[in-house]
Amino acid sequence: MKEYAIINSRLPKVDAWAKVTGDARYTDDLTMPNMLYGALLQSPLAHAKIKRIDTSKAEKLPGVKDVVTAKEAGLVKYGVSPARYDETIFCDQKVRYIGDEIAAVAAVDLETALEAVSLIEVEYEELPLLLDPFEARKEGAIAIHDDFPNNICAEVHQEFGNVEEALKTCDYIRTDKFVNKKQDGAFLEPQSCIATYDLNGNLTLTSSTQTVHYVQRTVAMVLGLPIGKVRVTKPCVGGGFGPKASANTIELVASLLSMRTGRPVKMTFTREQVFQHSRARHQFFHELTTGVMKDGTLIALKNVCHMDGGAYSSFGIATVYYGGSLLGAPYKLPNMKYDGYRMYTNKPANGAQRGHGGVIARAAWEQQLDVIAEELGMDPLELRLKNMMKKGDVTCNDFNMSSFGMEECLEAIRDGSGWKEKKGKLPKGKGIGVACGFFVSGAGFPIYRSETFHSTAMIKLSEDGGTINLYTAAADIGQGSDTVLTMMAAEAIGVRYEDVRVSSGDTDFGVDLGAYSSRQTLMSGHAVKQAGEDVRNQVLEVLSRNLKIPVEDMDIKQGLIIFKKGKVDFSGLRSQYIKEHRGWVDAPSGDELTFKEAARVAYFEKGVVVGRGSYKPGDLGGKYKGAAVGTSPAYGCSAQVVEVSVDMDTGKITIDNMTDAHDCGFAINRTNVEGQMQGSLSMGVGEALYEEIKFDAKGRVVNPTFGEYRIPTALDMPNVNAIIIESNEPNGPWGAKEVGEGAIMPTIPAILNAIYDATGIRVRELPVTSERLFMAMKEKNKK
Amino acid sequence: MHLLPKFDFYEPDSMAEACKVLAETKTEGKIIAGGTDIMVNMKKGLLSPKYLVSLAKIPGVSSIEPITGGIVIGPNLIVAKLIEFDLMRKKFNLLSKAASVLGSPLIRNRATIGGNIVTARPAADLPPPLMAMGARVVLMRKGKERELPLDDFFVGPGQTKIKPTEILVKIIVDDPPPFTGWDYVKLMHRNALEIAIVAVAVRITLDSPDGIIKDARVILSAVAAKAIHAVSAEKILIGEKPTAKLFARAASLASTDCTPITDIRGGAEYRCAMVETLTNRALSAALLQIKSK
Repeated sequence: MKEYAIINSRLPKVDAWAKVTGDARYTDDLTMPNMLYGALLQSPLAHAKIKRIDTSKAEKLPGVKDVVTAKEAGLVKYGVSPARYDETIFCDQKVRYIGDEIAAVAAVDLETALEAVSLIEVEYEELPLLLDPFEARKEGAIAIHDDFPNNICAEVHQEFGNVEEALKTCDYIRTDKFVNKKQDGAFLEPQSCIATYDLNGNLTLTSSTQTVHYVQRTVAMVLGLPIGKVRVTKPCVGGGFGPKASANTIELVASLLSMRTGRPVKMTFTREQVFQHSRARHQFFHELTTGVMKDGTLIALKNVCHMDGGAYSSFGIATVYYGGSLLGAPYKLPNMKYDGYRMYTNKPANGAQRGHGGVIARAAWEQQLDVIAEELGMDPLELRLKNMMKKGDVTCNDFNMSSFGMEECLEAIRDGSGWKEKKGKLPKGKGIGVACGFFVSGAGFPIYRSETFHSTAMIKLSEDGGTINLYTAAADIGQGSDTVLTMMAAEAIGVRYEDVRVSSGDTDFGVDLGAYSSRQTLMSGHAVKQAGEDVRNQVLEVLSRNLKIPVEDMDIKQGLIIFKKGKVDFSGLRSQYIKEHRGWVDAPSGDELTFKEAARVAYFEKGVVVGRGSYKPGDLGGKYKGAAVGTSPAYGCSAQVVEVSVDMDTGKITIDNMTDAHDCGFAINRTNVEGQMQGSLSMGVGEALYEEIKFDAKGRVVNPTFGEYRIPTALDMPNVNAIIIESNEPNGPWGAKEVGEGAIMPTIPAILNAIYDATGIRVRELPVTSERLFMAMKEKNKK
Repeated sequence: MHLLPKFDFYEPDSMAEACKVLAETKTEGKIIAGGTDIMVNMKKGLLSPKYLVSLAKIPGVSSIEPITGGIVIGPNLIVAKLIEFDLMRKKFNLLSKAASVLGSPLIRNRATIGGNIVTARPAADLPPPLMAMGARVVLMRKGKERELPLDDFFVGPGQTKIKPTEILVKIIVDDPPPFTGWDYVKLMHRNALEIAIVAVAVRITLDSPDGIIKDARVILSAVAAKAIHAVSAEKILIGEKPTAKLFARAASLASTDCTPITDIRGGAEYRCAMVETLTNRALSAALLQIKSK
């Protein structure tokens, strides 16, 4: 493999010092002079008509600067997908879940704002509650949205090949059901924002978001501002995982309040409000029918999925497609049929979360494949190897696996975990399980139909040539994109890591669709690479003219100009540089011409030295309806082996070992890739064993805290053997593709398969709490 | 963000002064120790005392004093110290073990033993081992003390025998008699930051190294309105030779002694079954401890 100076290494993150010392600033850490605090009035009822709103007492409270309802905010509809704009800033006629927004206050401090909210009087007329998605779609159920009389927010019907005919040819067919629970994204930083509307009519919104671009568009559209007048920027963000990938209520409300008061307005969610706003993993009800031949060859899959959508669409239109399109691969499967239904209910809206739409389908299917392997008398790992797709294969739904190290992943975890020595040989109460998965490396299309570039980048050299400024709108939300893009810029130009200064997450820096669908390393990376090469070429071209040496006879490495054909006399350049920078501490020295000196020459000729890069995917496969959800320039894939111990007398599960192999194409920062793998696994452990948002009969979330909504602690995670597989993706910068989400795909089913190996119990309902497993073991023992 | 309601804060420097201040607040004052419970409830709006009285400045409230035949623990001692102190780890390790599974390091560095007792949560971690050890609490009002066995202190969730203007000033724990073994077993969803699904504290004392059980205490937690004695289990243990069979019978009886509810952390049926499993394990561990001494 080619040697690189910067990429493929383990350089520390650019923000490591700020993060570990606590110096990093998040939105709620920031204040503005003259800033007001906003607070929301939210519905205490899950389904009700609003008969009357009286804000007069709140308005009279000293310190209150503004009170707004739908009357002031207007009724412009918005959402995530233009096909389903079903939200307004505030509820007008009715409320649809506990937490639905009715009014907001801006006041001189938070105490006053909260007190004012408590003074707003609302008269409701309760409506029948729909908390169960199957009740919601029954004939005669009350419509949560008038335009959707049977509460079906979206349905998808797709067939590739001919499933019914194919099933007739199968030796073995089985059908299984699977269900998870509604989840929370469980990012540590609650959503927070500060809106500042200035006297020239410019709105600057600082927000904890994954996608400054989409927020900019939504805020401009809903508030009726020219898009050029809206700037959205993010400081450090403490995680997102999906729910922060679209505009939220407080971004719109704080902006509205700032426009009306002329003062900066800050709003921050409480943890309970995070749970109410939600937009995280749906509850899925899958019924999967898989047909195979005796030798284990997969022939057909029928997938019926019902989803509890909650009160609004959010990302749900994409989710209902992903619930089907992310099966099939990574196996060669010629026939696949999908029927997906997303229902409205009177619960917080569900949206996107790591592994969007595919995680629960994957858990259901990989467990079913394990059952099939057992029925056929095959090793489950062998069954997977047998059906594995290879580089260049295209799925029946037109996903082109332009690189695909699936086989390498499977072999790596087989050998890395000691699978052969352990499978079938562990004592009762100990188990080992395997599963695979794949994921898109960036959505092939923006969430709105557009010819837009997905990522742009700009690299500007300082006049002294010593600093390389990288500007990108990509969002580092903790996953490390600032580090990866800095490394890419340094590599592309040939300078040192510390010479590049990254500025990111700001709509003023360009267009970037943001941190979702595992897209930034590939897409933002392409733009940055291009911008870096542009700068490099510009500098070398000027230098070539100046020193009369052809460009191809020069190179840039570690911030030094390499003259391939031997020594060159650059003393003129050097003495001029030193003369111009007399008294400075960083005068160039040594036998080689520095990039700094070369860049200075470029500055003399051009004044401004700017490299430009922009990326959008080329033509992707799929002409069928819904092909836009799932097609991607590249696909990451992974395999995992999980080992568990089960306390047979309590049902308590301990994860002993996890061996994970992920094909990320090419690791730009190896430590960062491993970090994403470990983070995915940790999230998968939580979803498999603990996580569930619980509701009371009135539709209220009863566990909106990290005390009773459990994500794994450090004591619950085993050490992870993270193995990086590099398949050199032709559509990725330097061969790189995703790792951020795909790594979660095999985790849940690998755990389920290990639990079966330990106990003989197939659990088809998440989470597998100790109680659920214990009761299932008890039930089995009765028989 | 949740905000605290307004309140006045007192930090008296003697217990007598504390009693006086608390008496003056009538029923509108509350003692604050670590604040891990009261601050949360105040932020949620469930409690809004007009006055908070801290004991932190009073000498001796955060220490452990050895006395003849036992120790006196100050109510303001933070939970982390129950694990750190040599004396606790060596002689009263039942309490150390329970303390080590209470919340997280952050909580253990703030929460106090007194707070864990007085808040009277049915799943609190420290009352079961303290009851198993036969601890007594000393309460003070208007400068006068009274002593109560912890067994008689709890009434129900959040309810105790303490009067509104009374202060828990001491916890007294006797040295364990010879040939005593004990254990605290807590079933949790995850391995930290947990309130028990079910917890069991057990203490058995033999009359001689290979003798019969002279005294037995089996305390069940999170399966009733307060930590309770598994009375029928204790009854059949006393006077018998400790055997696996006896422990199994006692464990089975313990599961009939509890009255769990189904709540957010677990179902009643599961909890009953777990009482049996955990009691059996705790008894076996206690016996092993005696044998290995």
